[in-house]
Amino acid sequence: MPTEEKPLQFADVNNDIVRSLVVTGRNYYITLGIAMFVALACFFFPWFYQLYYGIGAAGMNHPTVWGTYLASFIFWIGLSHSGTLLSCVLHITNSEWRKAMYRSAEAMTLFSLLVAATMVMVHVGRPWFIHWAAPYPNQMGLWPNFKSPLLFDVMAITTYLTGSLIFIYMGSIPDFAAVRDRTSGWRRHLYVLLSLGWRGTDTEWHRLGWAYTFLAVLIIPLAVSVHSIVSWDFAMSIVPGLHQTIFAPYFVVGAIYSGTAGIVTVMFVLRKYMNFEHLITQLHFDNLGKLLLFLSLLWTYINMLELFTGWYSGTSAEYEQIKYKLTGFYAPLYWEMILFCAVAPLLMFSTKFRTSFVPMLVLSIAINIGMYTERFLIIATTLSRQYLPDAWGVYVPSLVEISILVGSLAVFVTLFLIFVKIFPSVSIYEVKETMPQPRKREASLES
Amino acid sequence: MSSNALGLFGDPVSALAAAGTLKDAGFARPELMSPIPIHGVEEVLGPKKSVIRRFTLFGAIFGGLGGFALAAGTAVLYVHPTGGRPIITFPPFLIITYEMTILFGILATVLGFLISARFPAIRERVYAPETAVDKFAVTVTCDNEDTFSRAAAILRAAGAEEVRNIREGE
Repeated sequence: MPTEEKPLQFADVNNDIVRSLVVTGRNYYITLGIAMFVALACFFFPWFYQLYYGIGAAGMNHPTVWGTYLASFIFWIGLSHSGTLLSCVLHITNSEWRKAMYRSAEAMTLFSLLVAATMVMVHVGRPWFIHWAAPYPNQMGLWPNFKSPLLFDVMAITTYLTGSLIFIYMGSIPDFAAVRDRTSGWRRHLYVLLSLGWRGTDTEWHRLGWAYTFLAVLIIPLAVSVHSIVSWDFAMSIVPGLHQTIFAPYFVVGAIYSGTAGIVTVMFVLRKYMNFEHLITQLHFDNLGKLLLFLSLLWTYINMLELFTGWYSGTSAEYEQIKYKLTGFYAPLYWEMILFCAVAPLLMFSTKFRTSFVPMLVLSIAINIGMYTERFLIIATTLSRQYLPDAWGVYVPSLVEISILVGSLAVFVTLFLIFVKIFPSVSIYEVKETMPQPRKREASLES
Repeated sequence: MSSNALGLFGDPVSALAAAGTLKDAGFARPELMSPIPIHGVEEVLGPKKSVIRRFTLFGAIFGGLGGFALAAGTAVLYVHPTGGRPIITFPPFLIITYEMTILFGILATVLGFLISARFPAIRERVYAPETAVDKFAVTVTCDNEDTFSRAAAILRAAGAEEVRNIREGE
């Protein structure tokens, strides 16, 4: 057990991280191979099929003109939220426990955003016209409508993707330098470029500290704005069940909730398969568990509020919407969501549960299944039951849509697996900061 | 030809003390290298000023103005009247302004960081790879052999485990 071993030294941290980058076992290649195969077979092949035969290959039709692609888009944007956002908040509040886990959490943000952006490409049907959303002079006299929440979305996600990429890169510069000195061949060339010539001088640390804090301060309101804006894609319509002022905080809380659950899943996998047992400990799971519990209570409250405001509005369309949600065609999914996201997380009131790795993994996956369901229901239940009963209809995703949903997960896993072999997945210098400094430790050992 | 005296220390406290002694002895600003940020550097070597905050501020202002100009300019040049509402409408355009403020604030912060920390390094600089692992180094520029000897003596007296003479460009 780690407590019986000799205390962790600074050099051990370098060794562990460099080993995680350069030593690659057979299991890694097998997992990567499977992930890439699933991504090709379940994501790219169905997407090309849809491009060839047209958007009709998806199950979206009147009245439910939006479907799982947009549910996946919201889901992936949501999953992206806890990474960089949580990392920024914990950086500003000087939380020591952040330091072992934030790098992977930020990578999650980056790849979730990339997958989310790809889901939009899949949804629009003709992605080769996507540049029409960008403001540039053209012969058609076509400029984007800056009053539309869809364009707010383009701006917000572009900014968030840029910010997240810069944030993870800036925090990694000292680690690239540490790895640069220990590698050879193409890796050395890569890390020489990425580390920019970092030497760890007092001036460089000072500048990095300032820049990193400024970035954190800028990214926190940005992250909140991103999911608020995603919610306005829906809330600015007049569809019953969507036209609600609670939607922005509802989406932001849901995003942080699913993102934190995603971090628990990723932490478990890293701890187990990258041998980071002594870096990612019960303390991290305990703290993440407390955060998840708080978020689950907040999410449950907002869900109750959503039902209440619908009922309190006294309009027949809203009544019908609530009735349909609780007892209609999609009701089993609604109650599954409540079970996974509101009831099961109450187990985290127990410290024993929060500090148990496997139960926390199972719960984190259950929460994300529930949160995907939430996003699906936001779209499917509302569009299926609008004002006029003659326009009511049920939406069931087609095989192409289900396949692309599964494939998007494989795309995420593939990107993450490539990341852990290029980026130091745990911050070397920040983990060292949490350890006793060299001389002090020797002194305490002598005494 | 100038050289650099580099003393390697096993702990940050001795390295910081050595840097302070070198500074008091009249050496031009000594430089510390470490695997982690060292606290208390400014108390010993004097306060540091960073221009990054100005970059962030002006980047954010430029982004905000540019964002609003983009949205409002588009609305004026490509008029799209909707239900008698004004052409330049603040609520939606403020969202674009907000996003562009943050985007350019971020980009300018990065630029400020690169300029103020002198990145990327074009030529080879004084460096000891051990400082990326568990050692703490203090370096000073020395004009001649005598100055180097004096600096080396101070570094050793402060507890340096090793003193290296690194010539520029080596």
